[in-house]
Amino acid sequence: MSQPANILDNGRKSIARNHRQSLSCSGISAAIVGLLLLACGYAAMAADAKKEESTPVAKMRKNDLTPIPDLQKPVSAHSPYQDGDCSLCHQNKDRTNPGAIIKQVNALCLDCHDDFGKVMARKFSHAAARVNCVSCHNPHNAKQPKLLVEESGALCLSCHTAISNLVTNAKVKHDALTSDAKCMNCHNPHAANVEHLLIRLPFDLCVGCHGKDGIKDQDGKVLTNMKKLLAENPEQHGPVAGKDCSACHTPHGGNNFRLLTKEYPAQFYSPYDPKLYDLCFDCHEASVVKDPKTTTLTKFRNGDQNLHFVHVNKDERGRTCRACHEVHASKQKHQIRDAVPYGKTGYMLKVNFTQTATGGSCAQTCHLTRSYTNSVVPVAPKKTDTELPKSP
Amino acid sequence: MRRLAYLAAGGMLWSLSVLAFANVPIGAVVENVSLPTLAGVPQNLLGDTNVSIFIFLNPELSHSNQALAQIAACEKEMSGKPVHWSAVVSDRIPRSKVEAEVKAAGITMPVLIDQGDALYGKFGVVLHPVVGITDQNRKLIAYQPFAKVNYGAVIRAQILHALKEITDDELAQVLKPTAAVLGGEASVAHRFLRLAEKQFQTKNYNQALTNIQKSLGKNPTASAHSLRGQILAAQGKSPEAAAAFEAALKLEPKNSAALEGIKVAKETAK
Repeated sequence: MSQPANILDNGRKSIARNHRQSLSCSGISAAIVGLLLLACGYAAMAADAKKEESTPVAKMRKNDLTPIPDLQKPVSAHSPYQDGDCSLCHQNKDRTNPGAIIKQVNALCLDCHDDFGKVMARKFSHAAARVNCVSCHNPHNAKQPKLLVEESGALCLSCHTAISNLVTNAKVKHDALTSDAKCMNCHNPHAANVEHLLIRLPFDLCVGCHGKDGIKDQDGKVLTNMKKLLAENPEQHGPVAGKDCSACHTPHGGNNFRLLTKEYPAQFYSPYDPKLYDLCFDCHEASVVKDPKTTTLTKFRNGDQNLHFVHVNKDERGRTCRACHEVHASKQKHQIRDAVPYGKTGYMLKVNFTQTATGGSCAQTCHLTRSYTNSVVPVAPKKTDTELPKSP
Repeated sequence: MRRLAYLAAGGMLWSLSVLAFANVPIGAVVENVSLPTLAGVPQNLLGDTNVSIFIFLNPELSHSNQALAQIAACEKEMSGKPVHWSAVVSDRIPRSKVEAEVKAAGITMPVLIDQGDALYGKFGVVLHPVVGITDQNRKLIAYQPFAKVNYGAVIRAQILHALKEITDDELAQVLKPTAAVLGGEASVAHRFLRLAEKQFQTKNYNQALTNIQKSLGKNPTASAHSLRGQILAAQGKSPEAAAAFEAALKLEPKNSAALEGIKVAKETAK
């Protein structure tokens, strides 16, 4: 039994030698790679490469691409290798001495995978794929599906170290990174039409999971079915209407509850501290709760008395944004809530907000019924005699 | 499918078009104003150009500065086009902060100082950064709040659309990009077809036949049936080859390789 293994291992060493020679072309300077890419019809990709200055080309993985012996039970195998057709890619037919590859790596791959020409012409492409397919794939066989040289999540994180650190150290984790296709749940590793190689716009990706009933967070709390919520609540928060969940949520993990990018008060009541509102004030004007008087910052004012200030800016029982506003969508304008949770039993207290032509009112719930006026209804001027229609 | 994609894109355009300034809806004529600037000389919010773009921002906040960097790139790219650019900041923001961020982003447009938030109040700006675009009649034609993803591309497309340099469909493609889903069976089938072609060329008929069968198993196209016919013909199996060519012609009656192949296969079989 050991003899075939030795033969395989010897063959593997021989192939390794040849691979070191044949793959020396993958280590040549970026400029030469650039010229080769252009020659292969990769002009668009090369232009993209220029744009993405942060592309870690210098850090591109160098993988051991020797075939994995059958005894190690490879999970996937490349058809030409499986068929023993070495000369489709190499100089020789001899499996133990295949020689150098006959073309630059990516040009060789595209000979059969020519549909990737169209894929890589998308607006955003992955440097690893642009420069060298073998950054991630073993062209012979692999212990992973899709000829990947390493488990897919680990493979991505081996270059994307900042994300790796975030994933490891985040207090709040996102299941999307560790379940199903992992990174590829949201990203296309080759190319995409959305920034960050996202398969779709953030919202369309998020509702893939968060548009179902019964999704739970890491503490077992059932999360909102966003599709259902938005279908029932037409008044949507700007980032929701703009399909940009990432305006407020960090998808790779974070330290704030609900993966919020910045601090946001988790409670109904909170002493006013601007830091607690970092999330909201990244887009909304902080003065809206800082200035006691205004005639420009908000329509939630009684004359020039700023009612946001009145509700929020308190040393003790300040009402937080969520006391009155839904964060995603509501039935009423300005994402005003229908009801607010009261006490520990989950009893919902009706807000009973009514908008009027000159302001609005809240019926007795949190406080006695009160109304406010932010403008004067223009009174139509009385028609004079000369303007009145003449009688026939 | 194409029609469905257009409908979906149209839906997206509609959903964004309903977003607007609280006091200035899409389609309303924007009143031009002259305001003092960071550089000192008063400037108009809107120009006499085909398109005017203005951005309300707060350089004390990260979203505004991320937007500013991307808008600076747009401004540079479109420097020769008939577009009037202006930025608007509240006079509450410390001047030194505004100057530092404007310099860091590299914008060259005038930065208008909104005294007492009068312009903010007039438009009903409730968040920033937010971009407004008007046409030559000063009608508001686009309202674009900040987005973490594809923001620069969207602003660029909105301006080019306003300049009539891109069509409604091209704008829709940016606002609702085509999903970049991975591979699929048709894609795998195509690779087996390409491999079988290469193996056929090198006269490795048995492997070629195996791989073309795999291709047909995933996506039975006329090209795949036709290649199978050619492989079988090369192996001297004329009746089977003729059947494969017929299968190709059923799917694609004008497939030239199949038309040629079936003629030869039938003559050989006689």
